[in-house]
Amino acid sequence: MRALVAAELLKLRTTRAWIGYLVALLLLSGIAAAALAGGGAAFEIDSPEYQRDLVSTSVSAGFIALLVGIALVTAEWRHGTITRTILVTPRRARVLIAKQIAAFVVGTALAVLAVVVVLAVAIPVLAGEGGGFVLDAGMIGRIGRVVLAAALAGAFGVGVGALLKSQTFALVAAIVWMLVLEPLFRALLELVEREGVADFLPGQALGAVDGSVEDALSPASGGIVGLAYVVGFGALGWLRLERSDIT
Amino acid sequence: MIEVERLTKRFGSTLAVDDLSFSAAPGTVTGFLGPNGAGKSTTLRAILGLVLPTSGETSVLGRPYRELERPAHQVGAVLETFDAHPGRSGRNHLRVLARAAGFPAARVDEVLALVELTDAARRRAKGYSLGMRQRLGLAAALLGDPQVLVLDEPANGLDPQGIRWLRDFLRSLAGEGRTVLISSHVLAEMAQTVDEVVIIHRGRLVRHATMAEVEAMAAGAARVRSPEVERLVSLLADAGVDTRLLADGLLAVSTTPERVGEIAAAHGVVLHELTAERATLEEVFLELTNAAGEQ
Repeated sequence: MRALVAAELLKLRTTRAWIGYLVALLLLSGIAAAALAGGGAAFEIDSPEYQRDLVSTSVSAGFIALLVGIALVTAEWRHGTITRTILVTPRRARVLIAKQIAAFVVGTALAVLAVVVVLAVAIPVLAGEGGGFVLDAGMIGRIGRVVLAAALAGAFGVGVGALLKSQTFALVAAIVWMLVLEPLFRALLELVEREGVADFLPGQALGAVDGSVEDALSPASGGIVGLAYVVGFGALGWLRLERSDIT
Repeated sequence: MIEVERLTKRFGSTLAVDDLSFSAAPGTVTGFLGPNGAGKSTTLRAILGLVLPTSGETSVLGRPYRELERPAHQVGAVLETFDAHPGRSGRNHLRVLARAAGFPAARVDEVLALVELTDAARRRAKGYSLGMRQRLGLAAALLGDPQVLVLDEPANGLDPQGIRWLRDFLRSLAGEGRTVLISSHVLAEMAQTVDEVVIIHRGRLVRHATMAEVEAMAAGAARVRSPEVERLVSLLADAGVDTRLLADGLLAVSTTPERVGEIAAAHGVVLHELTAERATLEEVFLELTNAAGEQ
């Protein structure tokens, strides 16, 4: 399994797609951090709540990790590389598990990078406003939750990609789901006074983990629901892959 | 050793492979022949665990491909579709496979040299010619120095020197006791490479024969013209000879001119023309597949 995960990570490094992911990550997290830090004068910049919200602008890493996880499977179908992958590893479940682990690793790395970018933007701005950055236990915990959420999002993406197969469809579906459909469902559920159900939607659950969603599940419950999405979609994706003729 | 037993594969309402059985033995190059769309690629992909049979079984080295301990070490395959990422270099493509299968990294450069692709190895695969793509596929297949080799239309895109190189290479692999199964839609292309041929048409087995037998089929045919063609046809039929009436009253006969002459003389049938026909291998192939198609 180690070798398979290493091979998946090598796949990611040897095409140019990672450049696009990296640029997207730098832009999303950098801009979000600059926007919040720039408006810092309106807040108590030394308060832990404000500073943790600032670090939470790195949650865009989770979104990118989700797309990377999806593409890890769909790009294989798109370019026909799935043939060689399955020839080398005919037990298809092993391929998907290796991809999930690789996407988990990539999600972790993306989130760490995003936190670094956010701090690189935020610390000078805070210093300019006369405030300091407080790295206390609460802050470290928040950073850890952001990283865990991104890692789960990556592994979740693998299941989504395996289930939907088509690269364009899967990427568009994921983006539309996160930005349009899930907020819509949430609003509808609130209308019928069932907002508790909305907490279990994937974006809400992962948001509970990284702290970007308030009034949601506890971080631990969010993590369990997130893990259930990883396993559940992984199993559905495996069923689809297992039954697919590779022609 | 490759074995296919009563393999049937349906794609929706299309029957791609229909109750097909054959085997390919170690130490031989087996040609897998049929017109385009005969079901060759589907069969090869079923052998390799890529296509799931509707019914029937396939095995490689005594086990279904999916149950092999280390498939990349035991079986090498080159399929017709290009299976490298266009944005990845040929060398990195092989590095990924070597990493996944647990081959030493040095093996990558060895196989690149073997298929004479070292110069282009660091370029992205999207710029590769058809021949270079075939060579990259072959390099991937050879990474594990496998006992069994499966090649789908490997001659496509190769220049004459490349085809010659491939032929000598496959012969030497079979000479070492390995099993080689290679598909083609052109019999003549394989005549000097293969020991045995498995011919299929519309997913069904037409003939499994040695190459020597196929060549004998090409030799034994004749053409006859006779004013008593109907009588001659029934006499030949009684003798177990197949005939086919061509245009202009010419009769194609599936036996030697000597035999036709003897039968005609014995019954006093007048002949106006009798010529030996040495069919090309392609004609034999078409004959066999057409006959199968008419059934």
